[in-house]
Amino acid sequence: MRLATSLAILGVAVSALSALAAPAAQQAIIDQYAAEAKKADPGFKGFNADAGKEFFFAKHTGGTGEADACTGCHTTDPKKAGETRAGQAIDPIAVSVNPSRYTDPAKVEKWFGRNCDTVLGRECTVIEKGNFLAFITMQ
Amino acid sequence: MGPRTASVEPKFVDPELRQTQANQPTVPVWDRFVRTFHWGLVGGIAAAFATSLLLPPRWTLVHAIVGGISASLVLTRLVWGVFGPTYARFSSFVRGPRRVAAYGRELLHGTAPRHLGHNPAGAAMIVALLSGVLLVAVSGAMTLGGALRFGPLAAVMDYASGSIARELHEVVAYTLLALIGAHVLGVIFESRRTHENLARAMVLGCKESRPHDDVPSPIRSRTGIAAVVGVALIGTVAVAAVAMAAREPKGIPAASLDPTYKKECGECHIAYHPSLLPSDRWAAVMDGLARHFGENAALPAATSQAIRSYLTANAAETVDTLPANELRTANPTDPLRISATPFWTHTHHEIDPATFKAKPVRSKSNCAACHGDAETGMFQPWNIQIPVPQP
Repeated sequence: MRLATSLAILGVAVSALSALAAPAAQQAIIDQYAAEAKKADPGFKGFNADAGKEFFFAKHTGGTGEADACTGCHTTDPKKAGETRAGQAIDPIAVSVNPSRYTDPAKVEKWFGRNCDTVLGRECTVIEKGNFLAFITMQ
Repeated sequence: MGPRTASVEPKFVDPELRQTQANQPTVPVWDRFVRTFHWGLVGGIAAAFATSLLLPPRWTLVHAIVGGISASLVLTRLVWGVFGPTYARFSSFVRGPRRVAAYGRELLHGTAPRHLGHNPAGAAMIVALLSGVLLVAVSGAMTLGGALRFGPLAAVMDYASGSIARELHEVVAYTLLALIGAHVLGVIFESRRTHENLARAMVLGCKESRPHDDVPSPIRSRTGIAAVVGVALIGTVAVAAVAMAAREPKGIPAASLDPTYKKECGECHIAYHPSLLPSDRWAAVMDGLARHFGENAALPAATSQAIRSYLTANAAETVDTLPANELRTANPTDPLRISATPFWTHTHHEIDPATFKAKPVRSKSNCAACHGDAETGMFQPWNIQIPVPQP
């Protein structure tokens, strides 16, 4: 009985920790970008989710011409699966339906690196990346 | 039509041949085996042509099976031609070319008798048809083994010899089709000339016995020996085919893809089998990842190098499959795109472009949407299933 109770408490504690862990991992990446932004601009006040949303839905220029918006592949509903130009499914990017999103800094950098170049023809700024993450982690 | 033809034509039908009386006695001519064989072969050859010319490529294995059954039927007919009764025996009806030519002259002069069994011209046609079916079957098995790297001859054929066999298979098959047409015309001609339904006789087995008929001397059937030889022959061929098919063919790609390659490249598009491009083009693909078919697909240097090594080490030169051989010819204006190669364009031109655009295919690059075995690099015709386009 005692053992069962302590196991139950342990279980609750572990699940509470892991529930906190996912947002924490995503927050860590946002914090990293925030630190970079602060370093570049001491007056930096924090990321803007509304600007991130606008960036996500906007039509961009300067890219390769094969894709001019994030929504081209990720659709206008971040909670839904997207699709690559080659017909492969892309897992939803909204954290609420896909908690593993934005937990691996290397993966986040890899895809910003690829997709910003394809859609905008340049690297994204730290502000653009942070704003987008501020928006998408709340979706 | 010249006057000479006009004067000759009426002589084709000897009035004597038409003298059929009521209650003419009928005699058995085509035994049960010959009739079953004949209509069985009609079914087998019809199915073989239908599964090749009318039905989609996924019927290829059914085509091969009905072809094998047809050839086996011919083998049993060869045995029956040696041991069967009078009208089934080759010795009672197969004649040399001189006798066939003489029979042709008799026909022209209206002096050809009615043969109760096969006449010399019909017999020549039967020899041609039987050997034609065997030739089509052998060249078909060579095509399956060499071009598709499958079946009994896969281990002893390569793609180059299989491609030659494939051309031979087509030529012989169309020749067989022409022979079948000539055979049917011959049956119609002879049915009219002798005023009897020869096709019906091949169903019921009996024919009227008439005066002046050419009748071969009777030979007794040796059914027991025929059964033993027939079973031994078909059994030997079947056992040999199964044993040969079990041998490992050379030049067949490895069963599974490199996990890193599959993970990194398969995220955006299907992980194309490395044998679909030669190594120099894989190298060019990996060198150009920053502009990869209109997208930036850059990878960390170590990952990129590992994938490059895997792809170039398992490229088209290392295997001997149909896609590896045929896709090697690039389109000079778009050399890295597999779906721009002449072979790809040629083999997909009948498919509605809307099918590629619609779900679930969505893109010409999505091979696996139709090719169930795309990941193996084999792209066998029997694994093709084009999905119904969805709105």
